[in-house]
Amino acid sequence: MVNLRRLSRISFRLFAFNVLLVFLPVGGVLILDTYERHLLEAQERTMAQEGRLLAAALEAQDRLDGESARRILVQLGQRHLARLRVVESKGRVVADSALLGPRRESAEPVDTAAPGATDKGLLYRIGSLPFRLLRGASDVPEAAVDLEVTAEDGEDGRNLGERPEVRSALDGRYGAATRISPDARRSVTLHIAIPVRLDGVVEGAVLVSQSTGRILQALDAVRLDVFKVFLLSLGAAVVLSLLSAMTIARPLTRLRRRAEAILDRRGRLRGSFTPSGRLDEIGDLERALAELTRQLELHLRSTEAFAADVSHEFKNPLASIRIATDLALEVDEPGQRRRFLRMIEKDVARMERLLTEAREISRIDADLDEEESTPVILDELLPALIEGFRLRLGRTGPELVLSLADAAIVVSASADRLTQVFENLIDNAVSFSPPGGRVTVGLRRDGQSAEVMVADEGPGVPEEHHERIFSRFFSYRPDGSAADNHTGLGLALVRAIVEAYGGSVTAVRHSGAGARMIVRLPLA
Amino acid sequence: MSERIAIVEDEQNIRENLAFALDREGYRVETYGDGLDAWQAFQNELPDLLILDIIMPRMDGLELCRKVRTLSENVPIIFLTSRDEEFDRVLGLELGADDYLCKPFSMRELLARVKVLFRRIALGREAASASDEELLQVGDLELDLRRYTARWRETTVGLTVTEFMILHALARRPGHVKTREQLMNEGYPHDTFVSDRTIDSHIKRVRKKFLAIDGAFDGVETVYGLGYRYTEGSS
Repeated sequence: MVNLRRLSRISFRLFAFNVLLVFLPVGGVLILDTYERHLLEAQERTMAQEGRLLAAALEAQDRLDGESARRILVQLGQRHLARLRVVESKGRVVADSALLGPRRESAEPVDTAAPGATDKGLLYRIGSLPFRLLRGASDVPEAAVDLEVTAEDGEDGRNLGERPEVRSALDGRYGAATRISPDARRSVTLHIAIPVRLDGVVEGAVLVSQSTGRILQALDAVRLDVFKVFLLSLGAAVVLSLLSAMTIARPLTRLRRRAEAILDRRGRLRGSFTPSGRLDEIGDLERALAELTRQLELHLRSTEAFAADVSHEFKNPLASIRIATDLALEVDEPGQRRRFLRMIEKDVARMERLLTEAREISRIDADLDEEESTPVILDELLPALIEGFRLRLGRTGPELVLSLADAAIVVSASADRLTQVFENLIDNAVSFSPPGGRVTVGLRRDGQSAEVMVADEGPGVPEEHHERIFSRFFSYRPDGSAADNHTGLGLALVRAIVEAYGGSVTAVRHSGAGARMIVRLPLA
Repeated sequence: MSERIAIVEDEQNIRENLAFALDREGYRVETYGDGLDAWQAFQNELPDLLILDIIMPRMDGLELCRKVRTLSENVPIIFLTSRDEEFDRVLGLELGADDYLCKPFSMRELLARVKVLFRRIALGREAASASDEELLQVGDLELDLRRYTARWRETTVGLTVTEFMILHALARRPGHVKTREQLMNEGYPHDTFVSDRTIDSHIKRVRKKFLAIDGAFDGVETVYGLGYRYTEGSS
């Protein structure tokens, strides 16, 4: 578990990716192997060509003996790269270029232990280890035969008739064999044998042999260079990983610590997150986090305040009920007792209403999101509402006056919610109206907004309360008005709904008496 | 002549019922719907005791209390509050309330407070001639059980009635632990619905008031998991 977490760390992954990238050039070494094969094939072709030249020269002499063969070899002047030997039909060596003295400068020793092979030493061994292991099984040639000039290679002495490539040449075919070079390294020696025909009869063969050492040596040098580059890159990758860890992972770790620091042990939000002012992506993350915590804190605080408000609002009716029950238990007169029970009844109803409205206002945003907005024609909605009020109030209520605009005014909203808004406002106006008063509802278009005004002739709202009457639980009830029937949430609900639709609701100052509320909603 | 009590409360039901109950007890009661109305009336004549709601339109109870204290330092004031934390703040300001009750409260509790406060006032007017048996002397602490007043090294400590009753319950038997529940019964003898958090805030305020007089006061000791006790060998 712990290991898994370590592995998933960004710094570790950065390190892993960087190191993996470094291994890519190592893959190039594998391509070198293909190159090596091509070089070896080319070498064999060259050897075959040299052998054919010699064979042709011998064939042109019309005889095959040591004397003539050596002469031709001398004439070739050691310009060949491979060791050339001539055998007669029994396989006995009659001429050997290796025994003709030192070569020209162009011709390197056929295959001596390369001087570099030993100083490559440790580095080479480490680098080549996987390749040596890989190769080990695959292409080890069948037998090891010394190519070095030995005492055995006496003039005309040695019989090579047993070698398979010689045998096949003496049988008139092309012969080839590969043998491991005697230098204990992985180079091999290519042997090819070409028949020499005199008058169509195979009288001997030309043997060409050359170690692949030179090619391999050159390739090894390249490999060694690649390995050096690899080591350098590895070092660079480690350094780069550390650097990127420092620029990415460490600021992220610090960010995490700071993010954790704003939570206390019980996981509650304590204080706010302040971004460090970085300009990079981590800075963006910090700013996003700061905004997130700010919103969260705001939300928490408003939820807490709301809970406190609700509990506070509950205590008044509760206190009223408690006093009334105390008194109802004490008084003996039935009329008085009934009066207290009525009060209790009223307070219970108020608590119920409070609960409903508190729940509604706390869910208003979520609810409005779910409700569908349709075009609502205010010129039709408002008269219907007014008619409803007239029926309910009958003759006892204030006079309701509606004035409409000339053209239809349409807004986009839920008709039920708009009904709630205007009902609340008209209800308020009616409850504040003095007997015989008048409630005026006006609809007009104002620029890109629909404007609905609800005015009464009641006591009005003092200007210092114009804003506060819309905050929840604030209830301005001058004595004499139908008090205690209101939860203080009605206007808060009105504002919440109207603002959710991008509108506004305000109490406005005016010269006449009474309160005047204006709702503005954007036109559909 | 009976005492005049003013009730300033914007809740009509509470206002009327309190008035009814106090009237039944023989007090003369006047009621106001908000602080401003009350203040206008008080400027002419101050009642003998005030019962104030805190949150009211136009002028709230705290503002009214502050104004009343400019007229009289002695008139007893009882606050009715619906928020505990609100009152912690208020008493921090040392507004000079004599007691407070959290809504909802029992009518009997309020009546008991009213009686205690009137007794305190009445006895306070007499010369300081308390009989010895009405005095509780515990080290430097002196509690006058008739006047409901406390003195620390000859200095009067302005405790509310509730605070006095809680401190008295502790000091009566120094060294003995009183649980929150016991203290609740002492502080609110007529009310069975008081939260024990209330006791903690009362104790906090008692300590604060004594510390204001004597910075080394450590008479009220918290016994974790049990409650509180009064230790005599203080400072």
